[in-house]
Amino acid sequence: MGGMNIHLLLVDDDPTVLAALHKYFAAAGVDVDCARELEEAEAMIVSNNYDVVIADLRLSWSSVIEGLEVLRFIRRHSRQTHVIILSAHVSQDIRESADALGADAFIPKPAPLPYIAETVSRVLGRAL
Amino acid sequence: MSTLLQEILDHGGINVFYQPIFEIVDGKPVLFAVEALSRGPKGSNAEKPDVLFEYVRRKAKEVEVDRACVKAILSSMYMVARRALVSINVHALTLERDDQFTQYLTELCQLFRIPLKNVIMEIVEQQRYRNPARFFSNLDLLRKAGVRIAVDDIGLGYSNYRALVEIKPDLFKIDRYFVTGCGKNAHARAAIESIVLLADRLGGRVVAEGIESDDDLEAVTALGVRLVQGYHLALPQPVQTLNAVSPRNAQEVCE
Repeated sequence: MGGMNIHLLLVDDDPTVLAALHKYFAAAGVDVDCARELEEAEAMIVSNNYDVVIADLRLSWSSVIEGLEVLRFIRRHSRQTHVIILSAHVSQDIRESADALGADAFIPKPAPLPYIAETVSRVLGRAL
Repeated sequence: MSTLLQEILDHGGINVFYQPIFEIVDGKPVLFAVEALSRGPKGSNAEKPDVLFEYVRRKAKEVEVDRACVKAILSSMYMVARRALVSINVHALTLERDDQFTQYLTELCQLFRIPLKNVIMEIVEQQRYRNPARFFSNLDLLRKAGVRIAVDDIGLGYSNYRALVEIKPDLFKIDRYFVTGCGKNAHARAAIESIVLLADRLGGRVVAEGIESDDDLEAVTALGVRLVQGYHLALPQPVQTLNAVSPRNAQEVCE
């Protein structure tokens, strides 16, 4: 795999999910950063240029759907960044909100790592 | 799972580097002060200062993190702070919200036997405070305690003439935008000259940040700037190195 120069941000409150995704994409040569909460993700997005952000829909037990907040933030600050939303439970309403905000892809959890990588390739229009 | 904020506020979560500020005396740099530059926990995203402070802003935890930074700074370099000035960044918002900040600083300085007159509070992000009365009241408390006040990024954004006239800083820190490369930029030199004049009229001193060459140094000293800071003179360094720096051997740091 030749994924040089792809800068990826992973946003998830589950450290085991972050560790697995980080290991997989780093092995593919992707430059990977991780964030565990909304504000950390926002600070990273302001300070870096990401090609892709993969964000879990829920980053805490609060009622706020923080994954959509990450998406909304990216669309305000970095229009060229692709956003993939990961989620275990997706209602039609949330899906429509994410589409309206400009999500590039939706992936139901759990998903095999190669499928997530294929989705990244698809939204970027190039192989990892 | 611990959040990044908890890791920052934990003991040892703030790592500090120190960059010397020199005074040019008879053409030679002599240590004037050290600016404390805070970083987040090693290995975390907040190890980068821009991420650290962006994150802190978004969490609205300026007060807590500023206090943690002050404690980390004074506890790590009190030996130096007893004999040299130390410049510590503080958010304008902290001065607005934390009426006990001067008391907190005073108690720490007493604990580490650091004279308050050796502390410079460098106010950052002035755009974010909304209650000027409280801000200026707390600024006044700091001054009455003997603390010196600095304003950074002068010439850019909210470090404008109005802020300088109202805050009346002891130190005017000219942003690197005007300093780096000013030897070849007459317009930048004109801006520096105007700030030197303003500082003189307002009773403050000017620090030129971003000295990155002999040219920069020569140009700013020719304009009357005596306090200088930048990679060309000394890199930010950990406290272990800093403890060896004294006004007497400041020349060695420059070499």
